[in-house]
Amino acid sequence: MERSTVSRRLVLISLLAMAMIVVPAVTSLPSGISGVKDTGCNCHGTEASPSVTASISGLPETYNASETYAVTVSFTGGPSTDGNANLGGFNLWASDGTLATLDSSAQLWSPNEASHTTEGNDQRSWNLEWIAPDSGVDVEFILHTNSVNGNEGDSGSSGDEWDRAQTTVLGFGPNVLPDADPFKVLATLIIISTVLLSIIVLYVFYRNNPDGFEWARFAPWITEWLTSTDHKKIGTLYFVQGLFFLGVGGIMALMIRVQLSSPGNDFITQEYYNQFFTLHGTTMIFLAAMPLIAGFANWIVPLQIGAPDLAFPRLNALSFWLQPVAALLIFTGVFSGAGADTGWTGYAPYVVSENTHAGVSMWAAGQIMLVASSTLTGINFLTTIAVMRSPGMGWFQMPLFTWSILVANLMLFLSIPAFGVGLIQVYLDRTIGTGFYDVAAGGDPLLWSHLFWYFGHPEVYVVIVPAFGVISEVIATSARRSIFGYKSMVYAMAGIGLVSFIVYGHHMFTSGMSPTLRFVTMLTTMLVAVPTGIKIFNWLKTMHGGSLVYRTHTLWTLGFLVTFTLGGISGMFFPSMAMDVHLHETYFVVAHFHYVLVGGTVFGFFAAIYYWYPKMTGRMLDERLGVLHFLTAFISYNALFWPMHRLGVVGMIRRTHTYYITTDDIQALPEWAADWNMLISMSAFLFFASNLLLVVNMIKSLVRGEKAPADPWGGWSFEWMTSSPPPTPSFDPHNLPMLKDANEHVANEPGRLGQMFRRLMVSDDAPEEGSH
Amino acid sequence: MSDDYGHDDHPSPWGPHDWGHGAPHNSFAPLILSIGVGLFLLMVGGLFTFGEFDGRYLPMVFVALAVIAAAIVVWWRQDMSFDGSYEPRARGVPFKNIQIRKVGVWVFLMSEMMIFSSLFSTYMRYRQGIPRCDTIFESGDWVEGVAVNCFEPASQLIASSWWHIAPGAINTFALIISSFTIVQALRWAHKPVGSVDEDVRRKRIYRYLGATWCLATLFLTLKMIEWFIGFHVPEIGFLGIHEHEIHSLYSEGYLINNDHYQAHHYIDEATGAHMVANIQVSASLFYVTTGTHGLHVFGGIIGLSYLTYKAWTGAYNPQSAVSIEYFGLYWHFVDLVWVLVFPFFYLY
Repeated sequence: MERSTVSRRLVLISLLAMAMIVVPAVTSLPSGISGVKDTGCNCHGTEASPSVTASISGLPETYNASETYAVTVSFTGGPSTDGNANLGGFNLWASDGTLATLDSSAQLWSPNEASHTTEGNDQRSWNLEWIAPDSGVDVEFILHTNSVNGNEGDSGSSGDEWDRAQTTVLGFGPNVLPDADPFKVLATLIIISTVLLSIIVLYVFYRNNPDGFEWARFAPWITEWLTSTDHKKIGTLYFVQGLFFLGVGGIMALMIRVQLSSPGNDFITQEYYNQFFTLHGTTMIFLAAMPLIAGFANWIVPLQIGAPDLAFPRLNALSFWLQPVAALLIFTGVFSGAGADTGWTGYAPYVVSENTHAGVSMWAAGQIMLVASSTLTGINFLTTIAVMRSPGMGWFQMPLFTWSILVANLMLFLSIPAFGVGLIQVYLDRTIGTGFYDVAAGGDPLLWSHLFWYFGHPEVYVVIVPAFGVISEVIATSARRSIFGYKSMVYAMAGIGLVSFIVYGHHMFTSGMSPTLRFVTMLTTMLVAVPTGIKIFNWLKTMHGGSLVYRTHTLWTLGFLVTFTLGGISGMFFPSMAMDVHLHETYFVVAHFHYVLVGGTVFGFFAAIYYWYPKMTGRMLDERLGVLHFLTAFISYNALFWPMHRLGVVGMIRRTHTYYITTDDIQALPEWAADWNMLISMSAFLFFASNLLLVVNMIKSLVRGEKAPADPWGGWSFEWMTSSPPPTPSFDPHNLPMLKDANEHVANEPGRLGQMFRRLMVSDDAPEEGSH
Repeated sequence: MSDDYGHDDHPSPWGPHDWGHGAPHNSFAPLILSIGVGLFLLMVGGLFTFGEFDGRYLPMVFVALAVIAAAIVVWWRQDMSFDGSYEPRARGVPFKNIQIRKVGVWVFLMSEMMIFSSLFSTYMRYRQGIPRCDTIFESGDWVEGVAVNCFEPASQLIASSWWHIAPGAINTFALIISSFTIVQALRWAHKPVGSVDEDVRRKRIYRYLGATWCLATLFLTLKMIEWFIGFHVPEIGFLGIHEHEIHSLYSEGYLINNDHYQAHHYIDEATGAHMVANIQVSASLFYVTTGTHGLHVFGGIIGLSYLTYKAWTGAYNPQSAVSIEYFGLYWHFVDLVWVLVFPFFYLY
């Protein structure tokens, strides 16, 4: 745009210049002069005269928007006079703003250009006014003055001398912040995070061996972490990333809670609130929950099925490294003040509108990379679990955590390409300007919702089903008996996986989707309660038949049973269309999904941390700190999310940056809503602080924890058979563990599915194990 | 790094892997590839903003592509030493004794299928939901100068003459033939040792792979001609062919951002009025769907370059032949997708 005005100006100037060469200036001296800003008063001589000094006064150094300034233009000096008065004229040009005359001694050619009049032809100074623009750009002034010797007639212009003065008034900068240059933002980000990261990494290395702190030992150590394809190292990297972003997302949640703690608050503006709220969702789901799950899956699945590593270790490394880079992209906009502000669902058409922040493009780009990462993870885990189970381990001998990862990855793998395609469409709409979601061109915003929720609903099960797996493992070990109803647990998970693809419409009840589809998804959504109920009852029955040992991970599991069941019950309000229309836009929804995502997924993975940490590091966690963590977190968590149900029922609207309690406004809440919100915000800080106990506990036991035995809890799946921490590769590829089972012959005989595949796929009569 | 079972080897994270060992093989490729992809997406985001081009970012786009290329080179360098002697096989039902990598490719194709399903869903949604331009034109329900939102399938232009459809038709046969040549390469690699001269085997394999490479490149070249360049039909008197110009889709104005599309077939002969159409959605669908397929072909060309080079060094024999099969699975899938894309986007 800037370029086009410049070129237009150039054309105008050259046209003017040509006009002046062809025709002598149409406006002669006595009646004012125009169009001389670039050429000079060339009818009085080609060069400015050193004896004349033109000056502009009255202009500020920096102007304020729309303010009026009195400007005086004048000159001194000039040619010697032959008895005439040494007088003259002027031409003033301003690049922006509006010039105005005060008296009849000056006239305007345009708002940008002024000159003297016939009446004002006999002066040496003129008074004008200049009204500053409100755009904030720098304004240039060019003044030409002519000092005349007073000779009249045809040669009246000869012997006159002129001068030029130029000055620039600085603007106050544009009103709106310009979009930051991605180069600078990225560079800043990279420098800051590199410095922080290097300090942490150096400290960890130093802690390991304070005496051997030298580059020759450090370089291979860091290279090992950057290039490792070992499933345990990658698992740890995932784990660190997941916990880091859990903290980042938590801090964003705290900012949101400070804003919402009192009605009509303006701690963070609506614009920033939208960014925080978008990134809180995206961070928690994609950068915290998913990496935590992937971390545990990486660590535990190969150990549980007796595989030396995953099927494709290098692809596994790629899945991980895509994530931190994607996180950089997603957060790019934040540091320039133009982060994504679309909500984590990124609904069309707003997501492709030019009113959104520039960061939305990079938000989409980052998520495209996360989609790639999840796809690669899916390939890896589906293949690993299908083909690398140790001898003797059939499908129904697999531990339930491995089953849960299989089901979760199958769901993710089959649904995430739809999301990926949607994101690519959004990214292309925002970059090269395709028209997928351009409503003006006939694009359909509902299509994005379909693509998104076709992925989005399986996604929420992807984050909860692995937690089911963890709970099944922990409950069985803690109750010191095998899980009750193993097969029904597997079928329940598979059922959840299957149903997840046909329920997504319940997210779109208020979107104007077809009523038939709404009715179908209403029924299927209610169906989800059946397999979930089976799981809950199986867990209860496992405890009932066993003898429970109260370890920290057991406590978290019991906490999970309570909170997840509550979350599940509140979830049963939404399939009912009439209820959903009432509750859809309220905090009841917020309460529900935080009960299942925090009370379900996060609690499940806290249990997993306490359960598997000794296996992963070889150090026991402090049980007393753990119990303290559980008690404080469980209480503050419930105080944090339970009141949201009530606020939702009385109509507190979600996704907005503030709310009001007084006034006759129809949307105003009862007065007690403010008290509840304050309680929620305080509990949020307590919950955040209580989770720091976990971090303290982990660091403390890394430094001086008790050494862990191979099987501290009395578990009996394969991961407890290896040392703590396990060797690399996790099992000797030439001497794999063997699962002995009463039903071994069943496990090793190909079932119906196996026979079918055998007929489909050509199998060479190669030796059993290809290795030498 | 030596592993915990006494296998002591020190594979460099840059250099060729020692595939015979069970120890983890470190690699810089994943890290570099991720950085390259991130940089590429970031810089494309700078290069275009809602269709506005900003050339300042162009050099960095090429830097990003160079980073990606470097990562692929590292990846391949490590793979070059793979000779098939350590090809892990599935242990449990239902895939017992089938190569793990083959199972992986099939699983990968599942997600590819979902990608194209999603693209076709988008296509069906808009094809059904937006009225066609020729229907609107014939109904007379338009005013000259006011753009109508309507669906203009590319087939309106492409299927308008035999010459226009020729690039697409040749492409279809190119891909089908390339499926044949890749299988021939595999057949020659599979021939038992001793039954065939090793040099003949080497030459056959790399020539068949090279032929596949050429056909894939032909595919993309013809696509560029069809999209951007167009071609000239000479006068062939005895066949009754008159000299004329076949315009590219680009020069016909079939563009993703064209909201004032004026085609010669939308001129009312009676009044001379010209219907103006907003075809952004249909053009986006056409270019993105066929472009996604084109990107898959491009990925195939990259993979084929590696296979051909490796075949040229004589690395393929019955023991390692299965690597060609993995690529062949992907390549057949790409062909199969074209067999769906072609009728839906070029003929219908």
